[in-house]
Amino acid sequence: MKPPAIEIRGLRKRYGDALALDGVDLAVSEGSVFGFLGPNGAGKTTTLRILTGLARADAGDARILGEPVGSAAVRRMVGFLPDVPGFYAWMTAPEYLRFIGGLFGLAGRDLDSRAHMLLEMAGLAGVKTRIGGYSRGMKQRLGVAQALMNAPRLLMLDEPTSALDPLGRKEVLEMIAALGGRTTVFFSTHILADAERVCDTVAILAHGRVVAQASMAELKTRHGAYGLALAVEGDSHPFVQELRQAPWVSSLRTVEGNEMRLTVTDLGVARRAVPEMVARYGLGLRTFETTELGLEEVFVELVGGGR
Amino acid sequence: MRGFGGFLGKELMEIARTWRAWVLPGLVLFLAVSSPVLARLTPQLLESAMQGQQGIEITIPEPTYLDAYAQWIKNLQQVVIFVLLLTGGGMIAGERSSGTAVLVLTKPVSRAAFVVAKFVSGAALLSVTIAIGTALCWAGTLAVFGEAPPERLLLSTVTWLGVALLLHAAMTLLSARLRSLAAGGAGIGVFFGLSVLSLWGPAVRYSPAGLLPAMAALLAGEEVALAWPSVTTAIAVAALLAAAIAAFKRAEI
Repeated sequence: MKPPAIEIRGLRKRYGDALALDGVDLAVSEGSVFGFLGPNGAGKTTTLRILTGLARADAGDARILGEPVGSAAVRRMVGFLPDVPGFYAWMTAPEYLRFIGGLFGLAGRDLDSRAHMLLEMAGLAGVKTRIGGYSRGMKQRLGVAQALMNAPRLLMLDEPTSALDPLGRKEVLEMIAALGGRTTVFFSTHILADAERVCDTVAILAHGRVVAQASMAELKTRHGAYGLALAVEGDSHPFVQELRQAPWVSSLRTVEGNEMRLTVTDLGVARRAVPEMVARYGLGLRTFETTELGLEEVFVELVGGGR
Repeated sequence: MRGFGGFLGKELMEIARTWRAWVLPGLVLFLAVSSPVLARLTPQLLESAMQGQQGIEITIPEPTYLDAYAQWIKNLQQVVIFVLLLTGGGMIAGERSSGTAVLVLTKPVSRAAFVVAKFVSGAALLSVTIAIGTALCWAGTLAVFGEAPPERLLLSTVTWLGVALLLHAAMTLLSARLRSLAAGGAGIGVFFGLSVLSLWGPAVRYSPAGLLPAMAALLAGEEVALAWPSVTTAIAVAALLAAAIAAFKRAEI
């Protein structure tokens, strides 16, 4: 039987008083595009640092393709892009890819053709400037290219889209999506929309623990909900109290004054009931719109709080 | 030492393509050329400074090629060492803080190879620069003074190079453990510690501290027992490098 691409059991990591990972368990099947979701500070980067051998776990076991993390065998099979990739600013992109390829033992025509192919894929072929002059998006695309230099069986990306503008984000997501089926992709993000777009499986990390792991379809079925952004005028206190008790409201969060974010299980009911309640309490309805379901709302669902 | 060759190649390319190609070599070559000239002009400079000051009479002996050599060694000890210590602080710490180490160390490059390549490339730059600088200093001395027997210059400079390589190894360890600025500061502390040790007889005879006073003695043509200081310096360099590798292996990047 083929080992999972990533297998983590009981991973714990503490930084001083802060518990970064509190017994993480995870299994990533080979061939999947796996989204590792969680808000900032959930422990995603710490997990990736342990998987890449950059940090050590205090307890637990982590294996990549059946091998212990950090071993030379693992590094040959893995590609990695950190959240903020650091390049040698004085190099050009072709020089950097040749340098990385050389570390994997590539040479001659193999090295040149691989570097050229990846530069084309990253849209950096023909760019003569040094990396120090690149935009954030160009660096991120070069980062993906360098992570693919060894044709890895597992590609790990840490928040590859978090600091990009919409165009850069789209380009990087397209690169990730294009890899689906050819290599296992494990990428961390706090942007649920990115995961929805390219992932077939996700795990959600909160407070150092995996609170859910499922296929994308299963997650949507299990935690099916809609987001509502609502803003009213007037004394909203009794209105909010009644709203919290409504059976079709799964979470409610006041953003600022009379603005609130809701997740609802039945959008049709919400569309009829909310205006009726607003009128009954003599309030003015300023905003009423469905929103993209944010990761935060899914978290509230999963950890059972917020009501 | 997986990945040593590839990473060393990057280090050498970086030396050729960045400020590293200019700072240390530029300084050393300037000092090499200026030392003989300065030694020749020092008496005239002093005389012109004293002109007009009545009641003061200073007799300055005619300078010789040895004054040029002494000026060169003094510059190496007082200027080049500090440049080495300050720039050495970022050797490994700089790669960690800029994030470049992450991308390298997640490839098949061992941490030992990373550290040794840093040491070797820095030592190579230093050695080649000093070799060229010494040759220039010798040629300049010959041109200015008309004579320049090379033996004392070579012995004294090689002795200085021993101290410099020891401090480079210390910087490798400090940079593997500390941030750039802290490593530079700690390096200066190490140099002062070594200088203080060079005032103590047993340390001079049996430790690398003996190399510091040996430079002036060699220039003066004195017999100096260098066996113990040389052997202990070599051992110290190896030990510091081993400690740097061990520290970097333990470090979280």
